[in-house]
Amino acid sequence: MQTFLNLLEVEPIRLLISFGAVLFLVLNLAAVLTMAERKVSGYIHLRYGPNRVGPRGLLQPAADVFKLFSKENVSPGRSDLWVFLGAPIAMFIPAALVWVVVPFAPDAVVADLNVAILFFVAITSIGALGVVMAGYGSRSAFSLLGALRGAAQMISYEVPLILSLLGVVMLTGSLSLVDVVQAQGDTIWTWYFLPQLPMFITFYIAGLAEVKRVPFDLPEGESEIVGGFMVEYSGMTWALIQAAEFASMAVISAVTVTLFVGGWQPPLPFLDLGPFNWVWFGIKTALIMFTFQWIRWSVPRLRMDQLMDLGWKVLVPVTLIWLFVTAGAMLVF
Amino acid sequence: MALTLPEGDLQTRLERYLEGLGNRHGLEESEIVDGVVRIVAKKVDVPAVLATARETLGIPHLSFITVVDRQGYFELTYELIDFRGATVRVKTSIEGDEPVIGMVTGIYPTANWHEREAYDMFGVAFAGHPDLRRTYMWQDHFDHHPLLKSFEISTKRTFEGLR
Amino acid sequence: MLGEERRAEHEGALTEPPSSRLVSPDIRDEFGLETIDMSMGPQHPAMHGLLRLILALDGETVVRCDPVMGYLHRCHEKIAENRMYPAVIPLTDRLDYFANMHNEHGYCLAVEDLLDVEIPPRAEYIRVLMCELMRLASHIPSIGFLMLELGAFTPILYAFRERERIQSIFEAVTGARMMFHYIRIGGVKADLPPDIPQKIWEYIESLEAHFQRDFVDLIQGNEIFISRTRNVGKMTQEQAVEMGVTGPALRCTGVDFDIRLDYPYSIYPELQFEVVTDTAGDVEASYRVRIAECLQSISLIKQCLEKMPEGEVMGDTGRRIRPDEGEGFGRVESPRGEYAVHVVSDGSDTPYRVHYRDPSFCNMQLLQEIVPGHYLPDIMPIMGLVDPVSGGWDK
Repeated sequence: MQTFLNLLEVEPIRLLISFGAVLFLVLNLAAVLTMAERKVSGYIHLRYGPNRVGPRGLLQPAADVFKLFSKENVSPGRSDLWVFLGAPIAMFIPAALVWVVVPFAPDAVVADLNVAILFFVAITSIGALGVVMAGYGSRSAFSLLGALRGAAQMISYEVPLILSLLGVVMLTGSLSLVDVVQAQGDTIWTWYFLPQLPMFITFYIAGLAEVKRVPFDLPEGESEIVGGFMVEYSGMTWALIQAAEFASMAVISAVTVTLFVGGWQPPLPFLDLGPFNWVWFGIKTALIMFTFQWIRWSVPRLRMDQLMDLGWKVLVPVTLIWLFVTAGAMLVF
Repeated sequence: MALTLPEGDLQTRLERYLEGLGNRHGLEESEIVDGVVRIVAKKVDVPAVLATARETLGIPHLSFITVVDRQGYFELTYELIDFRGATVRVKTSIEGDEPVIGMVTGIYPTANWHEREAYDMFGVAFAGHPDLRRTYMWQDHFDHHPLLKSFEISTKRTFEGLR
Repeated sequence: MLGEERRAEHEGALTEPPSSRLVSPDIRDEFGLETIDMSMGPQHPAMHGLLRLILALDGETVVRCDPVMGYLHRCHEKIAENRMYPAVIPLTDRLDYFANMHNEHGYCLAVEDLLDVEIPPRAEYIRVLMCELMRLASHIPSIGFLMLELGAFTPILYAFRERERIQSIFEAVTGARMMFHYIRIGGVKADLPPDIPQKIWEYIESLEAHFQRDFVDLIQGNEIFISRTRNVGKMTQEQAVEMGVTGPALRCTGVDFDIRLDYPYSIYPELQFEVVTDTAGDVEASYRVRIAECLQSISLIKQCLEKMPEGEVMGDTGRRIRPDEGEGFGRVESPRGEYAVHVVSDGSDTPYRVHYRDPSFCNMQLLQEIVPGHYLPDIMPIMGLVDPVSGGWDK
């Protein structure tokens, strides 16, 4: 036992073990989120979600995963097989990789990069590639439409995503996520979501668009193009795309919490749990994910041109204006 | 631009329609029965009668076109509705086994699909129709018209050679 | 109209006419632009049934939309020629399966026109009561489907909860949840069970209480809903009348044609209600018209329950229904529009010809005219405006 803990101090082993733990967490999170999504949607629809498998339906993700493993991975005959099969991998890897810089608790970060925010932004941008690969590789009109919509949407919404981070960067003075959490003070009214409220809302909306959730799920477009870029996937390839979607939803929630809602810090100092502050992190991330799901089941989806209008004509000017306001306020106070 | 719907008492309107159609075309029969103007016209006159109904008399809506296979001749019924209680029913008959009649799609654009359905089900060809293809049945390799009396229902025939 | 003030202050999405978004053919030739030919359906989870739309797309703009039907064609008109008159009623149930009572009512009106039978007043009141309940059970899911196609998953579940409750009333009255076979030639099949009027009354009161909250407040003011449906599928009155559109789709352009008032049948002349119109002619207007018609139906149901006389429920049609040679016509205001039946009799037990004029079939011509120029995601709200049912257009 003692040798194991000593081993954890040794650098490459610590990184590998903690990355493995985070990956394990992400995969399980994807499975649990499918269950959470269905229960939340059920209760919003005034019905029970799945409640047969296991006590109150808690074993449903296990049943889902087992079913998906046993399904055949069908691919269209004319599809470009390497691109088709590489797309789910290309979607999952960025979603899993960003977790490397997220601080769960004080001193509990897989890699404390001093350019963590830049890393987050760079890796999230790669997600668009996976979408285009999926749509192009499927060689079907619906998939192509979904892929083009997805690419346009994800690339356009990176601009407000990045701009809304800059206020936080200015206030913290550093690109490291650990520093951002430390700099937010330890009470709920010193966290960044209050002084940076427009940026918080913009980051949230841009995050929704990056993850392609309602009201921005036009690339998936269930009503007209039935699955859009992922219409030709089935079985485990589809499960990997879904896992990537849920993992990126979770990572956007986690980064929102880290940047704006105080990371692992408790709302009031006397509620501090020391090294167990990952509980607070977990609660806050779960809350943000719940709001993602709440919005999904409440509003219709936006059409492509309205989506673009929102991104370019509303969110970008808001962030730019608030950047100036932040800079001015930093000068004055 | 608002559409003006016909006004006035029902009986006066019905008489006006009867007169208007009777004056302009030689109709075989025309009478008002139970609040419906019943007109029987020759098949060559039908597009002209309907054109008068639409343009001169202002009857806006073609409700349906029914084809009845009387085994020897086809009887068509065009029902026109003026949205305010009056109905004009134009009947005509087409002799023979290869029925052709002029189209009314140019006058009442809604007749487009009604005429396509009549063609599909009975084989009635509408001369001048912009897009006369089948509505329900297969577009190719199916030369039958199901609602003809000579097309027996499936309990009385097999499907061999049908398609 | 509901929320007129709010409409004025919000511009809505498309301000220029849809046709301006189409690239002109000479530019298309000059640059060698091609359109994608895509077929939406027949296997599609969101169509209102089995419909194939052959689309030519220029990017996201639809250049040509061509509906191909026939996937559910069962040739009811042919089957009806081989069945006796009362046996055709279950077939009519299966035409427009969201408005079964109206289909039966239309056919029975046509045959009663041939027979000249007198229908007892209690039967008429029961028929109208059932038809208005059916109208509620059809309009509320229509709104749900519109929202489902826009991407909101919740209103359809609330709508089907209401429909389930209405269907359980139907089950108590007729014995079936969906294919009722209740309205018979000469009256209705059986009287209402004694506790049903009270149950219907309670249900209607509870529906009125939460209708505003569930179907109006949740949807009407939603920014995304407004921008997805305002000015989408906009048609003028001339266009609508030319294309033979009837029902809520016509009334949402401003033409106040309602068969219950203009070509009255049954006991509608004795009941008080209004024809609901809206002037905008777009998808949002059709939503408002349907909401207002639901409220009118609620009031009609209450009037029916209050005024219902005692008496028999079946007129005297004789042992066999064998009309003389002739033609009978019946016309009914179904939730989708004008539903008419033309029955030709040759004096025998079976009809010689039955022709159904189904509103879904006629209203679908709208798609060919209105859809070009809109974006691909707009096709579904426009189908929500037309609200066709595949049993209707396919017969």
